[in-house]
Amino acid sequence: MLAFILRRLAQSALVLLAVGLIAFAMFRFVGDPIDAMLGQERTVEDIARLRAALGLDRSFVEQYLRFLGGALQGEFGVSWRLGRPVGRLLAERAPATLELALVSGVLAVGLGIGLGVYTALRRGGWLAGAIMTGSLIGVSLPTFLIGILLIWVFSVELGWLPSFGRGETVDLGFWTTGFLTVSGLKALILPSITLGLYQMTLIMRLVRAEMLEVLRADYIRFARARGLRERSIHFRHALKNTLAPVITVTGLQIGAIVAFAIITETVFQWPGVGLLFINAVQAVDIPVMAAYLMLIAALFVAINLIVDILYVMIDPRLRADRAGAAR
Amino acid sequence: MRLIAALFAAALAPGLVAASFAAPVEAAEFRWAATADAATLDPHAQNTATVLGFLNNVYEGLVRRGRDMALESALAERWEALEGGAGWRFHLRKGVTFHDGAAFDAEDVLFSHARAASKQSDVASWFAQVRAVEAPDPYTVDFLTTAPSPIFPDSIANFMIMDKGWAEANGAALPDRETGNFATLNANGTGAFRVTLREPGLQTVLEPFDKWWGTPEHNITRAIHKPIKNPATALASLISGAVDFIEPAPIQDIERLRATDGVQVIEGVEARTIFFGFRQNRERLLDGGANIFKDVRVREAVNHAINVEAIVTVILRGAAQPVSQLIDPASRGYSHARAARPAFDLDKAKALIAEAGASGAAFTLACPNDRYIADAAVCQAVVGMLAQAGLAPRLVTLPAAQYFAALRERQFDMYLLGWSADTFDAEHPIRFLAATPDAEKKLGSWNFGGFSNDRVDALLPLIQTELDEAARQAMLDEVAAILQDEAAYVPLYVQPLLWAARANIALSQRADNFFILRWVTVN
Repeated sequence: MLAFILRRLAQSALVLLAVGLIAFAMFRFVGDPIDAMLGQERTVEDIARLRAALGLDRSFVEQYLRFLGGALQGEFGVSWRLGRPVGRLLAERAPATLELALVSGVLAVGLGIGLGVYTALRRGGWLAGAIMTGSLIGVSLPTFLIGILLIWVFSVELGWLPSFGRGETVDLGFWTTGFLTVSGLKALILPSITLGLYQMTLIMRLVRAEMLEVLRADYIRFARARGLRERSIHFRHALKNTLAPVITVTGLQIGAIVAFAIITETVFQWPGVGLLFINAVQAVDIPVMAAYLMLIAALFVAINLIVDILYVMIDPRLRADRAGAAR
Repeated sequence: MRLIAALFAAALAPGLVAASFAAPVEAAEFRWAATADAATLDPHAQNTATVLGFLNNVYEGLVRRGRDMALESALAERWEALEGGAGWRFHLRKGVTFHDGAAFDAEDVLFSHARAASKQSDVASWFAQVRAVEAPDPYTVDFLTTAPSPIFPDSIANFMIMDKGWAEANGAALPDRETGNFATLNANGTGAFRVTLREPGLQTVLEPFDKWWGTPEHNITRAIHKPIKNPATALASLISGAVDFIEPAPIQDIERLRATDGVQVIEGVEARTIFFGFRQNRERLLDGGANIFKDVRVREAVNHAINVEAIVTVILRGAAQPVSQLIDPASRGYSHARAARPAFDLDKAKALIAEAGASGAAFTLACPNDRYIADAAVCQAVVGMLAQAGLAPRLVTLPAAQYFAALRERQFDMYLLGWSADTFDAEHPIRFLAATPDAEKKLGSWNFGGFSNDRVDALLPLIQTELDEAARQAMLDEVAAILQDEAAYVPLYVQPLLWAARANIALSQRADNFFILRWVTVN
């Protein structure tokens, strides 16, 4: 197990390095930060001085190495657009994104599994049919459209929920939370639905398909023949066996939730890291872009690692196989 | 069950208390949203309308602009030209204090000038002609210029004064564009509002400064500025009443907004002209063909081929104003003699193009797609119009971050550009757009097409130093005539300025797109 984890860690480090290199090679195509930083009366001299100060006159490999050197010491540089340390900016914005991701993740997993089981067990029922049809909306409509639709219905027409922002937050020193105020909780509702809807429908459809598959398996039939209660068959025997693929997909989707929060955060002006990133792209704020991309890459790598480990723990057969191969 | 109810009550209680506290204040609380947040609070670090417009509410200059853009007194009570055009004397207002309580006097002006004219500053160009600054007494400051400078007071309307003691004590004696410093995040001006909370990119809270020297016309007790990037979200927030004001109002929604109850649209024109330029100083086009734009007949033909009226009516919803020059009619030095745009005349355009032997010539026409209002749509329309006249433009649209970099490298044959003259004077676009490019003299830095005319180059220094209004206007008229006859640029229209607010808000719009909080009344 330890050797396995160490090997995966080494692979992860390589992936991170590669992501950074590709990112820096791409930055030059995003544009030139100079025009966002200087007014129209700038001179040729001003431009040259700023380019040199930012290190833009060097090759991308050199810029990347400089970034890496700083990153290894926990120093991500200073945002060109906001003139503040990138590490601080990310730390300030991360709670907003993580709280949003947590709520939509819980929503997606909870409702996804619940509805998936329901639609599998009540196949052919009118409510299950309606849920399946409704779930098509979740997979087919783009996130920003869902967000705008929700804003229009619940903020403009009904006036129940705020159209943007995070509401009032409570500062705990290291973390700002929206969970402790009414306006903070209200502000979470629309963005978390927008962000979680796709994942919810995905998990729901996956659970349903897996569940239908498992319910046809021999051991379920034997269980029925033994006279076990339906509830016990469905939840102890069937559901548990559908969960392995669900965990893989869910794990990857957690990464996707954080990464795709960019769109939801833009629509709802949610002050998280995604919004920070989008603004950075527009201003070609390379330190922020680089740090964000590395952070997201690290997140995906970490989640994959955890999923792999969980997988081994949940499914004893994998452990046996590995032991067998080692012998 | 009772326990759950109690928990609910406990959870809701803080919110209820907050709500009941907030209610009475809300009457004069003002919440406004713009697409972007000011990148810095340092008034000398970035010469952009977003930054200077926002800071105009917090910092003040020696002079300022009124609702009609005319200069009026601010920290200087009055000012006059020194004998023989040696410079300008400003008589400072007495009894002015900064937000932190420090007194304002000539020392702060000298300090602010040194700071704003430094190499690290982005506004140093305002002081290009200043040779020395002197303070004969604590309430008089002389700006001595290398040559007579009639537009100097106009150039420094956004030159904001900082407190010397405050800046030095906080290690912000110079602006820092690259890494930022104390003044990037904090402000200490003399203006009508002071910053009480600053969360960059999230919100900025302003409250009236009780020791302000002027008489407030507003009734705001608290103003909250929040950026909302997505136009649809901003619009929804305005209609639902979550914000009181948005800027800009998306042009495609203007008609609907006009018909929406509880909301008003504030329309004007911004002092920003939109025009086409040509890469005219090269032998060849970018793809190797002979450069058709060297020929004045082809440039003239473009003037006649573009139906500006149609563009304004259809694409810009009638909100823009066709223009014949690089400045708008409200600016100083506008040439009334050349107020008419060359008429839309397709036959004439075709004839000129045929005469020049340019029929069917292919070239790249480039436009930004996120910089000016409906910029890409306007270019799309122009491509069709030029094709009708017998040219074969290829449209390239790019986001601003890439567009201006490519423009500097002269990667296009014909390009769209917008210009707002910071001085609101006709000399400004001549200096940056029409003068022969010369890095040494800091001339023509936006003249990407390389237009060059000896007479224009000779007139520019004379215009810059002529104190006699009539003689100066005669020279400006001459330059306007040359630029029009040579079709150096093809001016299209003055860009619309579209704001939207709740119906209970009274405010004034200024042509430089600055939002002046002290003109806002919440009814």
